[in-house]
Amino acid sequence: MVRERWTDILARYLTYLSHLVPILKETKKTVQNMSLEVMMDVKIFDKIKMDEEKRLVKKVRALSEFSAYYRGEVFENIKNFIYKYAEDLEPIDIKDYLIEFFDECISALEILMNVTNPDQKKLNSTYLYLLYKYLEDLLLPIGKNFEEIYMKLNKTSKNWHECQRYMMIPHTYYRETVDNPDFFEIPGISPKLYQIINNITSLYNLDPNYYPCPEDSNIEIPVVLIEDVFEAFIDNIAHEEQEAVEKICERLGLRVLDGIFLAPKYDFIDVLIKLDFLRENKQSDGKIRLIPQFSNETLILSYLAFVSFRRGFLSKELINWISMTFAFIIFSTILKSQLSDHNIFYPIFTGLKTQEKVIPYMMKLLCFNNYLKLDRMKIRDSVQYRKEIFNFAGSSIDCIKQLILDLSEYLKEIKKKKKEGV
Amino acid sequence: MSGIDNLEWEKLLTEFSKNVDKSLKKLEERDIDNIPGAKQALVERLRVMRDYFPQNNGDLFIKSINEKIQNAFFPKTKDLAEAFELILKSRSHDQDFIINELINGFISSRSKTIALNVQGTVIDRMVEAFSKGPDFQIVDHQFYAMFSDPNKARKYVKESLQDLVDLFGLEAKELIVEKDKRKSERKVYTFYTFPEKILEILEGEYVDTDDVLGEKRVSEKFDKTVFISLFLANISVHRDDLKKIGGVYTINGICSIFSLILLISLMPKLEVNETNPVLRDPTYNPETMSIIPKSWMMKEILLDLLEPLINIVAYRLGGGEWLKSVETSEVKKKIHNQIRFLIKDVNKWVYGQLTRVEIPIFIEISNIFAEVLIDYSTGE
Repeated sequence: MVRERWTDILARYLTYLSHLVPILKETKKTVQNMSLEVMMDVKIFDKIKMDEEKRLVKKVRALSEFSAYYRGEVFENIKNFIYKYAEDLEPIDIKDYLIEFFDECISALEILMNVTNPDQKKLNSTYLYLLYKYLEDLLLPIGKNFEEIYMKLNKTSKNWHECQRYMMIPHTYYRETVDNPDFFEIPGISPKLYQIINNITSLYNLDPNYYPCPEDSNIEIPVVLIEDVFEAFIDNIAHEEQEAVEKICERLGLRVLDGIFLAPKYDFIDVLIKLDFLRENKQSDGKIRLIPQFSNETLILSYLAFVSFRRGFLSKELINWISMTFAFIIFSTILKSQLSDHNIFYPIFTGLKTQEKVIPYMMKLLCFNNYLKLDRMKIRDSVQYRKEIFNFAGSSIDCIKQLILDLSEYLKEIKKKKKEGV
Repeated sequence: MSGIDNLEWEKLLTEFSKNVDKSLKKLEERDIDNIPGAKQALVERLRVMRDYFPQNNGDLFIKSINEKIQNAFFPKTKDLAEAFELILKSRSHDQDFIINELINGFISSRSKTIALNVQGTVIDRMVEAFSKGPDFQIVDHQFYAMFSDPNKARKYVKESLQDLVDLFGLEAKELIVEKDKRKSERKVYTFYTFPEKILEILEGEYVDTDDVLGEKRVSEKFDKTVFISLFLANISVHRDDLKKIGGVYTINGICSIFSLILLISLMPKLEVNETNPVLRDPTYNPETMSIIPKSWMMKEILLDLLEPLINIVAYRLGGGEWLKSVETSEVKKKIHNQIRFLIKDVNKWVYGQLTRVEIPIFIEISNIFAEVLIDYSTGE
């Protein structure tokens, strides 16, 4: 596989988008120039569409097919809109609405086409970079060490823990292997693993045992029995996880002691104390006992911080899912900020056919060093796979919806500042 | 209640008192609560439960289970549409979250044989598929596309598809096309839809009609509540026919979930002092959440409490038939252990404290109990 450069990917990203703008502009002009009577007789749109299709010169097949699809959808939506409101609205109002919808789409496409530039000039003022940075702080912060990242995540998790959790559970989790022969590879969290993490949290809060800290004999650290964690699973359904418990622990900030206990790692203990997840209790023998008081997100954030810190070692599934989540949110944000909810062309942009032409390239762009710093070679190109993951892109998830809303407000601010020349 | 039934019921009540006593003893030996007074509050609550629940022929249980749980989730009727409508009406937004969480978890594990690779999202996918058209129908190949495992042949999905249909009480209809477009062959399409009377309710509640075009579409309100209500309605109506409701597995799951709801409702609320970190957590809302003692979730205590409660719920909801079906093997302990961990899905750990979200069913059950507590504390 060839390692694609920034300019190659950007060119591909722009290819499809660049076909959409002229279609919309031409159709807008056609509608503008149409008399109201002609416009209301919707047959004219079929005729124009047929003429347009006849004109097609031999281009790259996929591109011409996409343009034809897109043009068809645009005309279809116009016709439906006219049918629908012919009796309730004046023709002039219908025309105004249509032109307004076109303008909104064109302005969304202009942002999509100018999200960044080939030589990444003035990086700090490009849309892609600014929107990415906003998300980075909330979902996958950068830091010098695990502690710094964990602290950042802890701050934002109060409002965004559901998004953080969503991003850690790839929809294609069943393709992941927990016990990968490559020790460094970090998979996403499967629903089963999520249950196991919850069990560990509950056991720490309910039945911890205490064990002398191997690094400091004055401290007693909380431990839970590995056996207790897996006891709740019937018929060995968590057998794979039980076998790979050491690797899982590593990702959760835990370690295995004496082969039977799970205990927090020495470095993690400091972080937990600072955030009140461990309480110091002085015993009569002078030793300090660390009493766990974990919240639901304590260990999940540890996994996320670990993923963020070692982002060069993520599994294929996780890389695809994380970059898809970022790209999906940014793409949806741009649409949300420019298109009104009742814009008749909205569904064309959110449809799988359009998304699969734009988001995969945005995913790759977001993997570069100024952004997620993920291995873009692992982004899958298979159409089937894209369908599989895009079908479940988080549009119907409340927390993602909220994030898109917040980010679109931020985008409006950026746009305003750009206009003012700040 | 006949003589034999009364004997059975009394036996269950005695068993309950005995097990609460056992829990009390274990509680005396260990204390894992770090909020002053938490253990004492729990001890007092367990004593009241032990002394008052079996009184008046278990009147408090009858009120909590028959009047609250049964009315809201298992209406006593033989008409599926009526049961469905009653369940649907008793749902509230806050309540949905927790009940959905519990039942969704159960249905997911129930349907894991059908769709191994999509556990946890079975209902979500059903909602998505049925929302596509206003006629609430999906065709069999949509099912395969949704639930087939890429690593397995389609025949596995075909074989277990019926299970999923039975689980929700859906109906299959056939459409025969004499010449299909692709091969000009005779083709039989199988559609799955809701029973007719349920469809009428759905069309009234979840279909929006466009004022101008008269176009119909499924509204955004159509969500997993519909499937969960249908699942519960199916159990209510066919409670005497174990085969139709998924057999012993369903009964054990459902009784465990509702005894857990009962138990969470009965736990005392705790007050914490101002310095407690829980109060600094922005996700903790004292108006809608309350801290409950965590000692009751200790394995030794919870298992003793849960066992007789599951029997009681089974008996009250499905009579002797359900009681017989409650799992008594070694697997039972593991199931109870699973339930123990299920609790954290509906409650939240906030800085090591178990916080309960106050939903209507918890409040209604604890209100019945509050009356007794007042009597108890005033010594009347």
